[in-house]
Amino acid sequence: MARACSTPSTWARSEPMDDSFQVAASWYDGHSAVRHEGHARWDGGGQLLLDAPTSQLAVPLDDLRFGETRGEHVFYRRESETDFRLTLPADMPPGLARHLPEKSEYGAWIDRLGLGKAAVIFAAASAVAVALFMTAPEWLGPRVPESWERNLGQAMIGDFGGRLCSTPEGDAALAKLLDEVDPATTQVNAGVANIDMVNAVALPGGQVLLFDGLIQQAESPEELAGVLAHEVGHVRERHVMTALLRQFGMSVLLAGANSGVGDTVFGVASMGYSRDAEREADDYARARLAESDVSPLGAAGFFERMAEEYGDDGESNAMTGWLASHPAAGERARAYRNAAKEGADYPPVLSEREFVALQSMCEDDPDVEEFDFF
Amino acid sequence: MHGKYDGEGGESAFVFEGTWREFAPIAFTNLLLTIVTLGTYRFWATTRERQYLWSRSRFVDEHLEWAGTGKELFFGFMIVLVLFGLPYFIISFGAQALIARGYEEIGAALGVLAFVAIFYLMGVARFRALRYRLSRTRWRGIRGGSDDPGFVFGLSYMWKTIVGWLPLGLLIPWSMTSLWNERWNKMSFGPYRFEASAEAGGVFARFLLFYLAPFILFIGGLFMAAMGMLAGYGIGGEDGMALGGAFGIIGLILFFYLGLGLIAVAFYAKFYREVVGATRWKDLDFSFEASTLEWVKLLVGDALLVVFTLGIGLIFLSYRHWKFFITHLEASGEILLDELTQSTTRTARHGEGLLDAFDMGAI
Repeated sequence: MARACSTPSTWARSEPMDDSFQVAASWYDGHSAVRHEGHARWDGGGQLLLDAPTSQLAVPLDDLRFGETRGEHVFYRRESETDFRLTLPADMPPGLARHLPEKSEYGAWIDRLGLGKAAVIFAAASAVAVALFMTAPEWLGPRVPESWERNLGQAMIGDFGGRLCSTPEGDAALAKLLDEVDPATTQVNAGVANIDMVNAVALPGGQVLLFDGLIQQAESPEELAGVLAHEVGHVRERHVMTALLRQFGMSVLLAGANSGVGDTVFGVASMGYSRDAEREADDYARARLAESDVSPLGAAGFFERMAEEYGDDGESNAMTGWLASHPAAGERARAYRNAAKEGADYPPVLSEREFVALQSMCEDDPDVEEFDFF
Repeated sequence: MHGKYDGEGGESAFVFEGTWREFAPIAFTNLLLTIVTLGTYRFWATTRERQYLWSRSRFVDEHLEWAGTGKELFFGFMIVLVLFGLPYFIISFGAQALIARGYEEIGAALGVLAFVAIFYLMGVARFRALRYRLSRTRWRGIRGGSDDPGFVFGLSYMWKTIVGWLPLGLLIPWSMTSLWNERWNKMSFGPYRFEASAEAGGVFARFLLFYLAPFILFIGGLFMAAMGMLAGYGIGGEDGMALGGAFGIIGLILFFYLGLGLIAVAFYAKFYREVVGATRWKDLDFSFEASTLEWVKLLVGDALLVVFTLGIGLIFLSYRHWKFFITHLEASGEILLDELTQSTTRTARHGEGLLDAFDMGAI
């Protein structure tokens, strides 16, 4: 059993008291553990006089802070002496209570407003904040200057460190394809990634990658032109920045769960875009193809094959995120087919030689590295 | 025994006087305010909760007082966010950028660096959280604390934890008790230091249960699965046997997790009895007398409370745990109040941000 003992002291004296300004009190001075028991009296000015046989103190009323209540007692602290602790009865004469600091329950702001009102105000402010946060990617994304996005993309992924396939003929063929679908003066950076998947991605900083698997299965260069145009569309319509912001927002929300930035970069690619964004990118692609007199039938053929392979809803294969988040392949195939001009004779976008050069690019590049972080 | 607390079977030095009915309004308003402020209020919520729990905990003849504020907890959290969150973000960003550029080794090294830094900071955080809590706990106007910032403890935490795991985990009891001693020996309350001299020997036997368990559980589990299959066969032939087997396997998994959980509880029950029992403060000896069964009751009670209130019971867990802690904590000895003067340790202005960030308990 623990025991606490202190020097006993006796005290007896009597004096006239004005009961309306005086109560029994006990306090610790914050320097020793000895309890002082006596009474507290308001001096009529700005001070509370504490009087006990073991200690006399004058505490400025504006130095007192409300601490807490427990049962029949109220506790006060001092601003200037953090360890000081004064105990007064909860049932105080009003003359004295008026001069003591007010009780605080939830924290200064909420006490002032009242719990109900504060809860409503906080809830409204939170709803606005959440709405701003949720919609920020949509309205903020397109307003981020393209140069910023380019720098961001550079910082995040750079040049892929030799993992892109490159041969002089293949590069020339890709550049020619890009010229047809990206008329801007500052073109996107297009590259062929050494990955055996039927996929293509638009990454932050105007970086567009066609995967080697996509190129291998292509039956015509027009197919590639269609897919490339679609990805360029994502870059030009600022979908990448929007998706990046959305991904960033998610990682802030899930902070701690998984906030690696690397997941962010490719999360953008794998997460895909909204269906509206996909339609916008498709519209962009068809407009460029029409401008450059490239047949949209290649792209139509590609989507028809995809619809056959993965089902029309495009959701049966979650691995190829590109397809999963895209509008139904069959519907898209029709849209591309309808875009073809009746009876038009489109010139081939690439020569047979150029198409072959593009298809053998990864095989012929002697020092291309494996993409091991997908 | 003499003085005020004389007598056989006298009351414990630590008494908890709270009731859940008093705690409920605090817990529910905290929940409401935390939700409408999207979690920002939780620092103030924590403070209100502790103020209540501390003020209803009596040590000998006076109640404890929690003197921490929500504001300092909030600032502690912000400081951690800026000092550690930001560099961590930049390092992991840099690591990923380097890997993307083909510098896998440097990128991986940066990643490892970030991991080591977190490991170190976890040790520092454990130390500082205890320091913060002692420095905000007052009894008769006296508080505790430590003048050690905990940076050395962070290093000890790293190497002792690693050494503990190395020989098939056999030194874990040693690393746990030794870290407990190191931490508490740096803490003080009022003018006196705590002294802790817990020994691994006292908990080692319990720890060995972890090694024995897999064998017992495996054999027991096989037996159960076989019984399940037989029972299933008896009821419905081949199909019944498959079904019975499936139930048996589910039983095996449950058995395994529950069994392992039970061993962990048994170990921790023993561990806390040992380490608290080996902790002293001046002429006071502490003890913590919660048996394994009492721990199991606490945890099963927690689970039932949460499940049957559809999760709302979560807000009462801190109350239950604190009550459990205070109820089973005991102290014997003598305190001379005249000699008990104020702690001279510095008090940090911010709260337990680091620990909060890692979401760990202080004790």
